[in-house]
Amino acid sequence: MKPAAFSYERARNVDEAISALARDPDAKILAGGQSLVPMMNMRLARPSRLVDLNGIRELAAIAAAADGGLTLGAMVRHTELTTSSLVRERAPLIAAAAAHIGHRAIRNRGTLGGSIAHADPAAELPAVLLALDATIVVAGPAGRRRFAAGAFFVGLLTTELAQDEIVVGVEIPPSPPGWGFAELTRRAGDFAIAGVAGVLGHDGLARLAGFGVDDRPIRLRGAEAALASGDARAAGGAAAGEAHPADDVHASAEYRRHLVSVLTEAVVNDARERLAHAHGGARAASEAAAR
Amino acid sequence: MSETVRLTVNGLAVEGSPAPRRSLADFLREDLRLTGTHVGCEHGVCGACTVLVDGRTARSCLLFAVQLAGAHVTTIEGLTPAEGLSPLQAAFRDCHGLQCGFCTPGMIVTAHELLAENPAPTSEVIRDAISGNLCMCTGYVNIVRAIDEAARRLRDGAR
Amino acid sequence: MTARADDGRWVGASVLRKEDARLTAGRGVFIDDLARPALLHCAMLRSPHAHARIVSVDVAAAAALPGVHAVLAGAEVAAMTQPIRPLIPTPVPLRDWCLAVDAVRYAGEPVVAVAAVDRATAEDALERVEVLYEPLEPVVDPERAIEPGAPLLYPEIGTNVLWHDVLTYGDVDGAFAAADGVLRERFEMQRYTSTPLETFGAIAEHDAGLDAYTFWTNDQRPGLTLSILAESLGVPQARLRLVTPDIGGAFGNKRRPAYLLVCALLAKKARRPVKYLEDRLENLTALMHACNGVIDLELAYKNDGTVLALAVRDIADEGKNLVTPAQHNLIKLGNIANGYRFGAIRYEPYSVLTNKCPTGANRGIGKPFMCFVVERAMALLARRLDMEPAELRLRNYVPPEAMPYTTPTGSQYDSGDYPATLRRALERFDYRRRREEQARGRREGRLLGIGIATSVEPAGTNLASYELITGRRAASGSAEAAMVRVEPDGQVRASIGDPASGQGYETVIAQIVADELGVTPAEVHVARGFDSATTPWLYLSGNYSNKFSVTDVGAVVGAARKVRDKLLRIAAHRLEVAVEDLQLAEGEARVRGVPGRGLALRELARTAYADVLGLPAGEEPGLEATHMHANPLAQPVDAQRRVRSQLVFSNAAHLTLVDVDRRTGKVTILDHVVVHDCGREMNPPIVEGMVHGSTVHGMGAALLEEFRYDEQGQLLTATFMDYLKPTALDVPDIRVDRLETPSPFTPLGAKGVGEGGAIPGPAAVANAVEDALAPFAVVVRSLPITPERVWRWMR
Repeated sequence: MKPAAFSYERARNVDEAISALARDPDAKILAGGQSLVPMMNMRLARPSRLVDLNGIRELAAIAAAADGGLTLGAMVRHTELTTSSLVRERAPLIAAAAAHIGHRAIRNRGTLGGSIAHADPAAELPAVLLALDATIVVAGPAGRRRFAAGAFFVGLLTTELAQDEIVVGVEIPPSPPGWGFAELTRRAGDFAIAGVAGVLGHDGLARLAGFGVDDRPIRLRGAEAALASGDARAAGGAAAGEAHPADDVHASAEYRRHLVSVLTEAVVNDARERLAHAHGGARAASEAAAR
Repeated sequence: MSETVRLTVNGLAVEGSPAPRRSLADFLREDLRLTGTHVGCEHGVCGACTVLVDGRTARSCLLFAVQLAGAHVTTIEGLTPAEGLSPLQAAFRDCHGLQCGFCTPGMIVTAHELLAENPAPTSEVIRDAISGNLCMCTGYVNIVRAIDEAARRLRDGAR
Repeated sequence: MTARADDGRWVGASVLRKEDARLTAGRGVFIDDLARPALLHCAMLRSPHAHARIVSVDVAAAAALPGVHAVLAGAEVAAMTQPIRPLIPTPVPLRDWCLAVDAVRYAGEPVVAVAAVDRATAEDALERVEVLYEPLEPVVDPERAIEPGAPLLYPEIGTNVLWHDVLTYGDVDGAFAAADGVLRERFEMQRYTSTPLETFGAIAEHDAGLDAYTFWTNDQRPGLTLSILAESLGVPQARLRLVTPDIGGAFGNKRRPAYLLVCALLAKKARRPVKYLEDRLENLTALMHACNGVIDLELAYKNDGTVLALAVRDIADEGKNLVTPAQHNLIKLGNIANGYRFGAIRYEPYSVLTNKCPTGANRGIGKPFMCFVVERAMALLARRLDMEPAELRLRNYVPPEAMPYTTPTGSQYDSGDYPATLRRALERFDYRRRREEQARGRREGRLLGIGIATSVEPAGTNLASYELITGRRAASGSAEAAMVRVEPDGQVRASIGDPASGQGYETVIAQIVADELGVTPAEVHVARGFDSATTPWLYLSGNYSNKFSVTDVGAVVGAARKVRDKLLRIAAHRLEVAVEDLQLAEGEARVRGVPGRGLALRELARTAYADVLGLPAGEEPGLEATHMHANPLAQPVDAQRRVRSQLVFSNAAHLTLVDVDRRTGKVTILDHVVVHDCGREMNPPIVEGMVHGSTVHGMGAALLEEFRYDEQGQLLTATFMDYLKPTALDVPDIRVDRLETPSPFTPLGAKGVGEGGAIPGPAAVANAVEDALAPFAVVVRSLPITPERVWRWMR
């Protein structure tokens, strides 16, 4: 299983990468390669040129944002998302979700930007970005563009990214204190058959996102609304109604709809527990301070 | 079409002019004759091709040699002492953690990364660490025991 | 560094494996590690259609690609070679060559082969080949394939059924008439396979001057393969050489003479050696699957739980298997009684061609399905009669005092204590406490399940059994050849016609020879693998059906004893004592009871090789012996169509504890205990390792592994992303205990172990899941047990 021939260049900075893409419409970005290279080995993907981003250090930064959130460069590896203390503190949902991606050797190379650009509907991180209401930043010949995560994933393996653009990073606003993540896989590390990522805030904020339940990650707005008046089970029931999953070798659409309701309920329960803990913790801290 | 790529393999400076599509696995095995790294699937699932790149495990079947300019690659050969066996290798032998031996280099490289970060892993942690390495012969039971034993010996000061 | 066993012998001791120093260091030499000068690499163009006529093949553009040195297609192959001789011939010969000639009959069948400077270039060349196909309707379901009017793979024989028969042993009708009840059930088993981590490959080199070929390959049945190669190439076997390097797992799958023939023809055309290594997609799509199929079972019983008779209709889906059709059926027949005293058995096999990957030997080869249906039936019968499942089995086992016991089909259970095995397993599993745990769990809404499955596990195949299928005897028996030689320096060399693929033969053979010659295993050097130029071998030589412990051992012991006897004769002559006064121990021949009077092996070797005038009269020089051992248990088929298709029987009891997630249907195996008895364990850790590995494969078959085809015969699960193998997180620690009931019929009392847990494993897990789902009255009739299937059962 050897790939078709291609030429290779190593971009030294973002501008070089973009120019390379602009020059050759069949060129593709090489980030982690953990999704692209298997497809190339099977000759399902046949780029004429690979533009390697792995040498662009500025894309691998993790930085605290002034508003209490953080920024993540596109070339941050999945492993770093699980180990970075900044990510674990400010966006624990990301750290938790990334731990489910493949296996360690895959996570050591796979990148946040790659996961976003590839947009597999069963991938964890795109759904997490929806739940966190993140902003995805891309760069192209005309400069930078910013997208709300919810507006970026537009179809099966399809995003708003133009052929001559690359994802450069993600801006994560401050994470609500309640969060939950649940997925069902056949084996640990496999692509999810279905999954849900969600956050809850003290002010009644609720964002739930499903993956593996449509051709792209989706906000489960019906489930979110049901939470306001109902309980976790009601949210689960609503989620099943708004999922439009596929039938494939691994599961039927019907089963996936069932899973999304079960997982939504589980995520809501976990998020509520974390919210209560945070609330109680915050109250205890402020009470202690008041004494 | 081929440019020269310079990298370090098992501590030695290496240079070559592989075609861009030559995988790191094939470059190591065929061009450098380091045949200890094995190829089992060429789509990143089985783990037989696992090596260390700049100290971290990676699937050499999913890397192109030309990408590795300036990188430090360690293969099973680089984890084998000049004489005898490393504590990990000896533990695999002593605990019968291998049968056909085809998954073994990848397992040992993976275990090496685990023990470097976590000198006292529980058996659950060990199973999680090797969950990306398929074995068809052993059923994993003795592999887990071997890694556990190696961890113990390393903690007790084995070299 | 390693201690001997309690009786002072090396056999039975936990000797560390000699192979492991090189394998842990990555210094094994596997087929893809071999380089030859000017080596070319082969890639194969494979059919995209499951069934089609080949209208035309145009390779001109491929041949013209720079870097391509030879191209091969079916027309040329049919002109240059004889068809491939099958192991089990079909009633009417069906010609099959190493590339498709007139038609393709499964998606993935090789059509064109290219040899080029590297594999990537060869694959580039394949993209320039133009093949015109006329698609034909495929048949994918075996029951459909039997029906009149189904698409035929070979219209010239007018059917897809390669074997259909009814074999009746004992008064089946009478037993059913006398029964209090009959349990009837239909079971299905999926297609899966053994997926050694190393794929299959070969290098072929042609010497034009001698018109001789050399092959390097990880083929596990070299004796058979050499025969096929010689016949197809039209070259005498004496001008063929076949060498096996280290083999990265085999489990029956590693045999495809067609690929060696392709390499040979390309090598001859290109005048350079040619290597072919299948990639994983090719391995999963086109090498060798285990038969899927359907079994209808009827079990006649008495209300007190005594089983009387079994009637089984077995439809085995062979894919395009022209090499070993009906082998799965035959092996199932030999194991059909499991460990129970059935008085009468009827077996109706169908061996059916379909447009799918060829089937063949696999871990268990048919026995996992056979054991699945019998053990599932016992579980269902226990529920029906409201009996403890263990009690039902204990009531029906062949008791130890009845050993050796011959089943109605002619299988001979040589020894074993099946009740004690099960009782020990229940104890180690802490069965009563687990049942209490289950009851508590039920009250809390948890679905825990306990499954029991016990099995007999045979070793050694008697090829005479093929006569049941073909009606004539071509090959027969179970035999192997071995060589032992004391070298001039006093160390020992040995080799055997059976190439190891992970079983540690280099170590175990060293232990056996060390015991015979009075040396240590460290002084016995066993050849890695097989080399037809130097290893003694027979057509029957090779690695299959666990024959090492029961047949190969005879060859090793026989050769070692010939050398031992010669050493003693030379020593007796030189020391002027009687042979009876001598023993071999600690590297020398010493006079019993007279310390200091002895001669080292090295000294005896000097006489034998250098100082030959010092030999006793009539003694030939040298200290080398070959022994060809025919297993005496193999017998021809008798007039009642009974036969020992497999020869020596181990047994085991498996206990499984599972948890079923009530919301998602996901099954987790929490605990698994195996108590097994493979007779004398020659190297306990090696034995235990194989029990672990085979059991995990059984778990994989129960929960994960499945080849799925669509209606057009396209394989939907052709990568490791979709064909799911168990990982370390999918299976628990496996606790193993043992009984050791030696076989009275094998040279060292050892029995087979390699297939082990693959046989009862699927049944144990299935029984546990059904037990967990008892509140839902679920019956588990098929595998794998996926979360979705469980969810549907619970609804």
